[in-house]
Amino acid sequence: MSPDLVIAVAAMAVVTFVCRAAGYFAMGYVPLTPRVCAWLEAIPIATLGAVLAPALARGGLPEFAGFAVALIVMRLTGRDFLAAGLAVAVVALGRALV
Amino acid sequence: MSQISFTWSGFCAGFAAAAPFTVGVLPYGVAFGVLAGPAGLDPAAATAMSALVYSGSAQFVALQVWADPVPLAAVLFAAFAMNARYVLYGAMLRPHLAGLTPVRAYGSLFFLADANWALLVRDGQAGGADGAFLLGSGLAMYLAWTAGTLLGVVLGPVVAAPEKFGLDFLLIAFFVTILVGLWRGRRDVAPLVTAVAAALAVDWLTQSSWGVLAGGVLGSLVGAFRPR
Repeated sequence: MSPDLVIAVAAMAVVTFVCRAAGYFAMGYVPLTPRVCAWLEAIPIATLGAVLAPALARGGLPEFAGFAVALIVMRLTGRDFLAAGLAVAVVALGRALV
Repeated sequence: MSQISFTWSGFCAGFAAAAPFTVGVLPYGVAFGVLAGPAGLDPAAATAMSALVYSGSAQFVALQVWADPVPLAAVLFAAFAMNARYVLYGAMLRPHLAGLTPVRAYGSLFFLADANWALLVRDGQAGGADGAFLLGSGLAMYLAWTAGTLLGVVLGPVVAAPEKFGLDFLLIAFFVTILVGLWRGRRDVAPLVTAVAAALAVDWLTQSSWGVLAGGVLGSLVGAFRPR
């Protein structure tokens, strides 16, 4: 491994860890008022929506079918890995056919 | 600040909860190991990158721009852009992990990823009292990612195609199930719609992963100011 590579890998590792630690670190200096708690509680729904929307927009019919299966099976059964597993199977099948 | 525990059983619970994800993570580790060589990363560098950076999306983007000499600015920007969402995840985890020693908190945060964050979100209200859950669940996927990379480096030309089996969709599908589980009705509509609209707009404008951060920040702020 050349010094060039060592520096690049080490710098990437630092940047990535800073991303992982920064939010936790910064929130140590923010008092957890009801407003701040409401913000923290709203992060999951907002972030999940923000992750899912572009990913599904980029996908085709198989991905949309997988999304629908995950949504419906989860609503009906409440079992997350059953819903996710069936969705993956539908996507794999859809990609094989399309 | 509530007293938080950090126990072996919490660690094991996390490890077990993340086990299903290793099925999806391992083939991507293999794919990274396979693609790293042609991109100009020697086996040691590829394995070290997976072990030290541990971020699939950032590492795959880094491969796209990798050259000799390494374009350091582009690689670091990729690492930041692909991992910026972790800033939000970490902020959200503050109440969950506060009270742990810095070594335990930051040591666990090294293993923070989409899947174990999602598991914490799922279990957050009920069983989120053990700080070691994050470490256990993260370590399970970390091992799969690093072992997969090593396997890919060794296998070399044998091409892995996780997409063929829909494995790239596992995390997306799991996110959908969590969204369904978290849903509390009308008060979640505005944050979700804001997040989706912002994410789609920024994603379309910048063709990058900044949409996740934009949607996460704007949507959650709408949630913070919604009528209670």
